[in-house]
Formats: sequence, structure tokens, C-alpha cells
Amino acid sequence: MKKSFLAGLAALLMPAFVLAGEYNLTVDRVQIDTGDFVKEGIGYNGESPGPVLRFKQGEEVTINVTNNLDEMTSIHWHGLILPYQQDGVPGISFPGIQPGETFTYRFPIQQAGTYWFHSHSGFQEPDGAYGAIVIEPEGREPFRYDREYVVQLTDKHPHSGDRIMRNLKMMPDYYNRQQQTVGEFFSDASEHGFMNTLKDRMAWGGMRMMKADVEDLQGFTALINGKGPDQNWTGIFEPGERIRLRFINSSAMTYFDIRIPGLNMTVVQADGNNVQPVNVDEFRIGVAETYDVIVRPRDEQAYTIFAESMGRSGFARATLAPEEGMEGAVPELREPARLTMADMAGMHGMDHGSMDMSSSGDMPSMDHSGMAQMDHSSMSGMDHSAMMMTEGGASDPFYAKGSGIVPVAANGGKFLSYADLRAQNPLYEDREPTREIELKLTGNMERYTWSINGVKYEDADPIRLQYGERVRFKFVNETMMTHPMHLHGMWSILDVGADQWNPIKHTISVQPGTTVYMETEVDEPGQWAFHCHLSYHAAAGMFRKVIVEGGPDSTQAKTDAVAGNGGEA
Amino acid sequence: MNASAFLVAAAAMTMSATVFAAGAHSGGHGGGSGEPGKASEVSRTINVEMHDNYYEPESIEVNPGETVRFVVVNKGNLVHEFNIGTPDMHEAHQEEMMMMVEHGVIQGGTLNHDMMEMDMGDGHSMKHDDPNSVLLEPGKSKEIVWKFSEQGNIEFACNVPGHYQAGMYGDVNFN
Repeated sequence: MKKSFLAGLAALLMPAFVLAGEYNLTVDRVQIDTGDFVKEGIGYNGESPGPVLRFKQGEEVTINVTNNLDEMTSIHWHGLILPYQQDGVPGISFPGIQPGETFTYRFPIQQAGTYWFHSHSGFQEPDGAYGAIVIEPEGREPFRYDREYVVQLTDKHPHSGDRIMRNLKMMPDYYNRQQQTVGEFFSDASEHGFMNTLKDRMAWGGMRMMKADVEDLQGFTALINGKGPDQNWTGIFEPGERIRLRFINSSAMTYFDIRIPGLNMTVVQADGNNVQPVNVDEFRIGVAETYDVIVRPRDEQAYTIFAESMGRSGFARATLAPEEGMEGAVPELREPARLTMADMAGMHGMDHGSMDMSSSGDMPSMDHSGMAQMDHSSMSGMDHSAMMMTEGGASDPFYAKGSGIVPVAANGGKFLSYADLRAQNPLYEDREPTREIELKLTGNMERYTWSINGVKYEDADPIRLQYGERVRFKFVNETMMTHPMHLHGMWSILDVGADQWNPIKHTISVQPGTTVYMETEVDEPGQWAFHCHLSYHAAAGMFRKVIVEGGPDSTQAKTDAVAGNGGEA
Repeated sequence: MNASAFLVAAAAMTMSATVFAAGAHSGGHGGGSGEPGKASEVSRTINVEMHDNYYEPESIEVNPGETVRFVVVNKGNLVHEFNIGTPDMHEAHQEEMMMMVEHGVIQGGTLNHDMMEMDMGDGHSMKHDDPNSVLLEPGKSKEIVWKFSEQGNIEFACNVPGHYQAGMYGDVNFN
């Protein structure tokens, strides 16, 4: 079972030696200046993003959160393992924090790494209510660096979250500016023939979606540490130093492809858990994920941190430089990727016969997750994740075969895949799961409804888990969008086919037309949120309550009494 | 000149450069960091522990020309290397180690010993038997006797892909 348990027990037995820290956060109305526009939003201690909270593993933290808004608020500590009453989800963990009220969170810091915090009320998070958490480990880090920076991304939109949700509900393509045009129809028609083009468009229309639906929210200004591309957040270094960059994607809706032209990046941590180091040229960060990388700029020059949105409708930009004011070249945005029919493979009720398959190659009827399940030991010791890369072409076992959105490194080099991630120190013994739970990720883009197994949150029964079991979750993405699935309170062990070395995450991206498995050791009693972390998908209903029944003691008796007022998520 | 002839020539040039630098053997190790030492000249023993992914100690002091016995033990869960060389030598060696990973010779915590013996052509193998380095599975221990050069920019490093970049190196400081 959990190896950190003994350490935790030892800490309990020695209360006199426990480190304790007290922190104060106010939730405030703030001005957010992106360089493109100034907008009223929500922040912490007077700014958005809020302060970087620095904790130490083993510390008992007390965090006083004062709500200066005229509406209810909450703070969720994303990725932290803690008692469920401290998890900050109104209606599930606690009633929320009323205007004028100060709520005191108290919990032990049981882990180390890069995390973040954000409001779990309404659309306060897209409106600016987020910040970073950095936890120093009890022992030494298993890597070395001379300095570190938090690099926290978001997709700041000129519209408030409430307004965006209303618009999406009314007109789901309201913010989709890359729709195919009549002109494009005729240019496609001259290339592919009129009937093929017409059939292609009709097939997509029949699926209630548009080919350009890689992103359903465009028109944002991407920020790094609160700075827009022109404001150019800059981190200083001395040539030859190793720098740890703690990337956090706090976006409401946007995935980013991140590179630093001229520098290799060594990924050493994902979602707060150390991974065996992987050298990459570029990586894609899902909404709510974190990746820590180490870079070593040797030259006395400026390097651009360039983060293109997955749909290429915008970019974040920052700089690493020997001194303030230096700038590196800023690359052009690449052409947007377009979904192919392969990305639709998981969809229900499609008339495959009527589709023009010429652009997408063979239709993958295979279960792609099977790739991740292969027994590598029986394959004459070949490392398939490395093979995927060296064979060339855009191929990644975590994307549908023939997918239009498989990422490719801008310099032709190595693009990180989930398949490359290996736990550095597995948290749990590997064991057979006690059961499997299938979760179909479902939705209807034309009505902007998002759901799990076709049922949205307000109509769904909670998922009931038993304390002590190991559950295998099977995500089947039947939509054409990528969903970053986040289970609160317990770790998500992503199945990459590496058994005990499978990486441990808190957020798992499930690409269109794919099936992805994760396992969870059910080791925390109470009730928890489990949802797609795209803000407007979660709000539309791609959300579940998870109830853990039983426990090491009688904690269960308390769980249902807590919810109180406010069923909001 | 056709393409394959060019590749052979390029490989030969690369090889000869490293062979001259190494002085004693093929494979691209050695160079300006010193040479294999004689057991009879050992002045002292330094114990080096390899963890995931760092060394203890992370720096050592040596006298110019000193011969040191290193007892290297892998206390981690992953395969690690202890390699004495200049930063340039380490960088060159990292490409060889990448090949070992791509061919499945190094897989997390295990070494495929059969594959290390395999003939890679041109008399090469992935044995990794150079005198300035050891490549160890978890729990294994080996010794190196090394005679340091008079001076130089020398590090000991693990060139398993990603490990050096993540900071698995130590400094050799000359007294």
C-alpha cells in the first residue's frame, strides 16, 4: 500500500516536531491588464494570479481565506492529498465561503512538487482566481538546479466566465473563429472534387460539429505569470546555470504546446510527481496539468518561452535572459491542426459508409488503449515509446491513429508523449485492480451539453467506491474534444503500459476517439469531485461526485452531513 | 562519393578523433580527464553512491596526477553510470547512451546483457566496457582505478538519457 503512510504515522507520533505555517489569503476584485485589454476580475491578496504559496513537506498548514467579494467563493488545492473537508469544493467538501466570511483551512502537507490552487465556485477561476503552490520535499530533490521559476499559464478572455457560458449555450460556435468558410469549400472542392468535399462537410454536419473544433473558446490573450505576450514576463539567468521551470496550465479551456527555441528541456516532474527524466524539444500541457522541466542555457542571449495554443488561435510568450529587457525572436504561429475522421472514431451513431474517408486514411476501429497495455517485456526488450518517436511521422499511442491533432515538434525533434512518462518513485505497489468502471465522455456540441455516460451532473448518481479497493477507470472519449479529467483527493495512476512505473498524475487528458485507462488506490475516505477541467465543460455537466464508503475509522458517518447549502461545483 | 561511403568516412573520422583523445581504446571515453590507473599507485579510495538521480558525494577533491580507486555502488532503482570525463566527452557519450536506450539495452532498472554483446557492425558493440566508466544496475557495485591528468575541466557524470541534464553530475576539483 502507500509507502508514505509510515512517514505520516511517524509525524503524527511526534507532534512536537511538526512544522507549522500560517498563511492569509484575501479574495478580491482586481484589475487584470493583459496588454491587449484591461478587465475586472478576481484575484488573491489584490492580484491575479495570486501569490506563490511555498510549503514544506511535513508541514501542518493553516490558511485563512477571507472573502471580500459580494458572492460566495472557495479555494481548491489542486492535486493536494488532504482530508476531504479541506478540498474546497462547495456542495461536496464544505458549504463554501460566504461574502465577508473568513474560512480557515487546516491540513498536513503530505507530498512535494508543483501544484496550484483556484476557486471552485462559478467561473471565478477563469475570471482570475488562481495561484501556484510549490512544495519543498523533506529530503533532497532528485535533481539539481541553480534557480527556479514558476511559469503559470492562463487564457484570459475579455468576456467574463458567466457571459462566455451564456454565449456558448446559445451558440456553441460563438467563439470558434476558425470555421471553414465558403471560400475554403470551393478551394477544397477544386482539390478534392465537389462531391467529395460536399460529402465531407455533410458528414461533419451530421455529427453536430465542425472540423475546427479543436478549441471551443478563442479570442483570449494567453498570459504567463499574469503577463501578456507584449508584457513579456522575463526570468533572469547566468549562462551555464540549470533552471527549473515549473509549468502550470491554469487555463479555463486552452491546451498549450510549449517550446524554448535553442534549448532542450528535460522533463523531471509531471503533476507534482517526479518522473524519470525525459529530454524533449516540446511538450503539450493539458488544462490543469503541471510539468517541471530543467533547462541549461549556456549562451549570453535571450531565449523565448513560446506556448502556442493547441488550436493555434493564440500564444503565450515569456523570456529567459541574462538581463532584464533582452528579447529573443518570437516564432510565427503554426497552421492550426484540424480534426480528422479518426478523431471521431469514438462517436456514436455515425454512418461510416457515407463518410469521405480519403483525408483520414484507414478508420481505426482498434482500441488505442491496447497499445498502452502491451506487455513490453514480451517484446524482446524494445522500448516502444522510443520507437514511436524514431519511426517518424506524427504518431502517439495516446491519440487516435490518423488523428489530425497529434503534436509534432516545431524543430522536428522530440515531442513528449504520455507514453514517455515513468514514475521516478512509484507511490504504490503494483496490484490487480479490484474492478473496472467505464466512463464514457459524452456531449453534444450543438447544444453545448457535456456529460459522462450521457448523463449530466445534476441528473447523475454519485460514483461509489469502497475504501481500500483499487479501481480501474476506463475513459472512452466519444466526443471530438480533448478532456482533461481530474479526480480530487486520490491519485490517478495513468496506464502507459509500464506496470509499477506507470506515472502518477492528478489530471489525465483523454484525446478524441481514444480510450485511456487509469487506476486509483481508494485510500482517502469522504466525498470528492471528479470532472473535466475545461471550465465550461465541467459547468455544463461533465462532472461527478465520488463517494468513498468505509475507511480506516468511522469517517463515513460524517460525509453526507457536510454538503449544506450551494450545490454548485 | 555515394551516400554510404560518405557515412563510413564520417564514422571513421569521428572514431579516429575519439580514439586519439582516449589514448588507450575505442569507444569515445577517456580523453583529457586522465588514464586508467595502476592499482599499485592508488593513493586512496573514494566511495561514490549513485541514487535516482544524483551522486553522493557531488564533488571530490583530487591532486593533479593522483591515482584514485573509486568504489561505485548503485543505490537507486534505475540503471546509472559513473563516468569521468570533460563536459564535451559526456555530451558525445550521451548520444551513445541514447542509442542503448533506443535499442532496449537500458530499460529503467535493468540492463540487457545479451544485447550489449551484440555486434553492431564495424567491430562495435554496446558493451560499455571503457576504463573511465561503469554502468550499473540497481544494487550492483564496481571499482575504477583512475589516474587523473594534471588539470582540466572534469566532471563525473551519468549519461543515461536525461540524467546528466537533470543534474546527475559531480565536480572534480584539483587541489
